[in-house]
Amino acid sequence: MTLAAASDIVGASNKRRRPVGLLLVALPVLLVGWMVIYPIVAAVITTIWRPDANGRYGISFGTYQFFFSDGYSLANLSLTLWTTVLCAIFLVIICLPIALYLRFAKGRLAAYVQGLAIFPLFVPSIILSYAFIRVLGPNGMVDILLNAVHLPKIRSPYLTPWGPLIGLVWDNIPLTVLILIAGLGSVSDASIEAARDVGARSWQVLVHIILPRIGNSILVAVSFSVLGIFSAFTLPYVLGPAAPEMMGPFMQRTFRDLYDPPNAITQAVIAFLFCIVFGLFYVRSVVKNQRGR
Amino acid sequence: MAETFAPPRRIDWVGISFAVVLTLVIIFPLIVVGTWAFTNVWRYPAIIPQEFGLRFWSQTLARPDVWSAITTSISLACVVTLLSAIICLPAAFAFARLEFPGRSLLFFSFLAGQAFPKFGLLVAIAGIFLGLNLIGTFWGVVLIQLVGTLLFMIWIPVAAFQGVDRRMEEAARDVGASPLRVFWSITLPQAGPTIAAAVLLTFVNTFYETEGAWLIGAPGIRTMPVLMISFINNQPVIQYGAVLSVILWIPSFFALLFARRVISGGSFARGFGA
Repeated sequence: MTLAAASDIVGASNKRRRPVGLLLVALPVLLVGWMVIYPIVAAVITTIWRPDANGRYGISFGTYQFFFSDGYSLANLSLTLWTTVLCAIFLVIICLPIALYLRFAKGRLAAYVQGLAIFPLFVPSIILSYAFIRVLGPNGMVDILLNAVHLPKIRSPYLTPWGPLIGLVWDNIPLTVLILIAGLGSVSDASIEAARDVGARSWQVLVHIILPRIGNSILVAVSFSVLGIFSAFTLPYVLGPAAPEMMGPFMQRTFRDLYDPPNAITQAVIAFLFCIVFGLFYVRSVVKNQRGR
Repeated sequence: MAETFAPPRRIDWVGISFAVVLTLVIIFPLIVVGTWAFTNVWRYPAIIPQEFGLRFWSQTLARPDVWSAITTSISLACVVTLLSAIICLPAAFAFARLEFPGRSLLFFSFLAGQAFPKFGLLVAIAGIFLGLNLIGTFWGVVLIQLVGTLLFMIWIPVAAFQGVDRRMEEAARDVGASPLRVFWSITLPQAGPTIAAAVLLTFVNTFYETEGAWLIGAPGIRTMPVLMISFINNQPVIQYGAVLSVILWIPSFFALLFARRVISGGSFARGFGA
């Protein structure tokens, strides 16, 4: 998907057609401007430029002060950070071995493993939530099986912070694996064989040859999942505890149930700030990648 | 390549353990849901349902809220996909083939939404929609879902248009074919399958889009995923949710059949910055 220089099929009439190109891309670009750029700028401005008690507008950080002094808001924020960090760690621990295996294995078994690893892409998170409850919920399938072999029931992760965590990891496995496999493609067979020829063991090949080359892909995969997990809504809303809640359900409840848009938008801006490093890194990587080919 | 790590003919224990664990973790929960959907009676602690049957299919399909959710979801996904195709495919062609000022910058501007946590962005948009009275309306949901489709609907077709063999187009031009004829007979057949996959993925993604529909659409607009959330939270009859899950999975099944090639190919992952 490079944006290689376009040489028009109509060749000579290229220059005359210049405005046509702009015209064709105008609608989607305007839509991005109106529905992405403008809301973000407006969100920052409306949460800072606020009326005071007399109705006079001025710079005020009132909603931010409230967020960072409110125990409940802070508990939600720290739950979100806890979930995001643990999810990212679990994703790397789970997906890196799968990706490594798929990079070097061939044959039907490897194809099966790859198919399974990508399969969650084709399971919407709402069905996943439902399956989670039927399997790990109270009297779920795991309880049934444990009971059948006379073991005690599990402490169900449903409605605890572990519920969304497990669901989010499940949901994010496919893209993490795909990004890591693509990254492993840059590790050449020749370099690995060379290392093995001079007597390197598997783990030495991993640490000295493979990991340094896919460090960037790991960061991209982590950034992508952090952006998705930090403000995840569906899984935390359905599987997570009522209080404290993750930022996604918290924003939704503040906006719709408490009908308090200023504070909801403040929470959104705070989420932006926490993710800005990952967001910029992620976008930079995609741009670099597209340009590179 | 297998030889690098394991000599041939050795049993692939690593692969077998991955296959077993992933089957348990990924396929098993879905089989449980599928079983529930075709179960008339399943009381704890039986391992196998006491009675299989289709009783809850007729009951679920007799519910008016299920039918209105199905029609809402399908019409939303159709409208959004159609609008997205109308505005994005010409733009994709322009990005792939025409020179114009700011082309590169505008091409990457579609990434803007990717730099922010999604639900935060939705709340910011909802703040704008509040002033426009779009909250709780069909077109509000259409707009918010349309924005979510832009990146895919432009980037995948751009790759498709650029993948077309230019020599064939030029050859056709040389023997006197009109630009329209070239586009219709050479460009479209080659780019078509990938573009069709992009359209299908857009439809499926829109069909499952839950967060925008929930935040912007409630309470007036109730799509299938939104109905499913309320089934999970408030519906004591387990089978309703299971039957709805199976129905809900149908679009994914088609995506699995037809679009897997696009996803398994390297360019999809690279589109995510890998």
